[in-house]
Amino acid sequence: MNDEFTNSRRDFMKNGAGLLGGAALMAMVPPGIRSAAWAAGSDAPELKEVKVGFIPLTDCASVVIASVMKFDEKYGIKIMPSKEASWAAVRDKVVNGELHAAHVLYGLVYGVHLGIGGPKKDMAVLMSINNNGQAITLSNQLRDKGATTGETLKKLIDTDKRDYTFAQTFPTGTHAMWLYYWLANYGIDPFRDVKNITVPPPQMVANMRVGNMDGFCVGEPWGNRAIADNIGFTAATTQDIWKDHPEKVLGSTAEFVQKYPNTARAMIMAMLEASKYIDVMANRRKVAGIIAEKSYVNCPVEVIDQRLEGKYENGLGKKWNDPNYMKFYNDGAVNFPYLSDGMWFLTQHKRWGLLKEDPDYLAVAKQINQIELYKQAAAQVKVPVPRDVMRSSRLIDGTVWDGKDPKKYAASFKVRA
Amino acid sequence: MKRILIIDDVRDRAAWLKASLELAGFDVVGLLAWEQVDEHSIQAALADVIIMDADAPGRDTLEQISLMSTTLEKPVVVLSAQKDQRSIQEAMRAGVSAYVAHSIQGEDLSGIIHVAAARFAEHKKLRDELKEAKSQLVERKLVDRAKAILMADHGYSEPDAYKRMRNMAMSKGKRIAEIAEAIIMAKELSA
Repeated sequence: MNDEFTNSRRDFMKNGAGLLGGAALMAMVPPGIRSAAWAAGSDAPELKEVKVGFIPLTDCASVVIASVMKFDEKYGIKIMPSKEASWAAVRDKVVNGELHAAHVLYGLVYGVHLGIGGPKKDMAVLMSINNNGQAITLSNQLRDKGATTGETLKKLIDTDKRDYTFAQTFPTGTHAMWLYYWLANYGIDPFRDVKNITVPPPQMVANMRVGNMDGFCVGEPWGNRAIADNIGFTAATTQDIWKDHPEKVLGSTAEFVQKYPNTARAMIMAMLEASKYIDVMANRRKVAGIIAEKSYVNCPVEVIDQRLEGKYENGLGKKWNDPNYMKFYNDGAVNFPYLSDGMWFLTQHKRWGLLKEDPDYLAVAKQINQIELYKQAAAQVKVPVPRDVMRSSRLIDGTVWDGKDPKKYAASFKVRA
Repeated sequence: MKRILIIDDVRDRAAWLKASLELAGFDVVGLLAWEQVDEHSIQAALADVIIMDADAPGRDTLEQISLMSTTLEKPVVVLSAQKDQRSIQEAMRAGVSAYVAHSIQGEDLSGIIHVAAARFAEHKKLRDELKEAKSQLVERKLVDRAKAILMADHGYSEPDAYKRMRNMAMSKGKRIAEIAEAIIMAKELSA
């Protein structure tokens, strides 16, 4: 539904004056300003204003906080957060330059670089935004039939034959890969055994409510919202699938980084400061309050705050303090754009047939992940940088991913396309 | 002739677009609302080109349907009322608008895009004008009511009442209509 028609009169009046301003901000930075900054030839950011897209999710916090708390101004830029309606729109706008950068799904950036199902453009990952904090939700109808875990879900699908529908947020994105990985871990083929659809994050809960789906994988706060609304429960958190998994990145194009390296560095620095701020537990309630607003995530603050503070309940009566809650900084471990993280998404794209051939995994990751740029920015804001560009992780099925033999890894899974 | 499917929840815009495209000689084979979009409805339309708003949330749903299908042409034209002529051309050059149309040439698309873009822009302009007119009317009514309250309760003259509201608005950094609304609410509270 169109927002313009649903706003109350008061909101309408408040927003009325801002309409023209909003439209003006949409315009791209005039070319004159760009070349003037470029000609100056200093470390100063070439652009004073950067438009950064985001999707209403808890992990958009670093973009919002960098702007609202003015960490951006410290580094000579103004971040203009731009709320987007779909990942497809984020992709298109980053590709055509309407957005300078965006809070975006790790796998999506890699998909665009290789031209999977859409435009092909050389892309850039400036930094990783967060680890953890997404979840797989199953409907209360499944619970009533005894399916509360991967194993019991498999049993139900095998015995009670009907169409089962599962949703994720974008074909090449992170939630698709978490959902597929989790289902496959229990012997459920995400393409052959169930129907697999894409739904925008804020609409997940509403779709489950009307019975359009049996399960979904999405970022918070929408998993917790399903519990608050009493329509579903958390069958698994994504940190159960992969502790400290990569998730959203600050994505842009290779062209942008080439043209505006100082601006890109300033963005990383501002976002790193925001990440540090958000990772202080005492600040999280305030962060939740800010991002809960209508112009950002537009969700009740307590629904966001609970899991942001690591306080989990699964909707089946279990409560716990999750040590692997959504991390934004973790002494810099979150933000370093590990090559092995990027390569992992390629292995999964290959596994599920989104890539027909094995790409040159390492070469692609080196092209996309801006390690040098990141290191320069991190040094300036005193953020520790790991020695190795690869990291080793053990996933839910016990397999270890360390980036060493991606081709073999991609082919090693029993359930695959 | 290119067979066009329009997906749009704004019904009058979709109808305009359909009429305009047909007038320009294109074949509009379907109009869908986003909640009707699934693999079946997209397949059944047998369209070469799909037109939709660039800012429709349902676009991601369509991405998956197109990617999973081996026979479907992918969504092709995405339009936003914000786009001017230049950014449409830039988007096309960047490959966004036409990225998916494996069998359709850029020139074939440009006619469709231009008709559609003009209609989108016109629709937005009309709606903005309507909204602007409405909001001005509402604001004037609020200010008049607040003025009357101040005059009745405090004995101010009309220009004086207005001046006080305007000064308050300026010092609080708010709009005069918001001040007026606060005065009316305070009055309702004490009534």
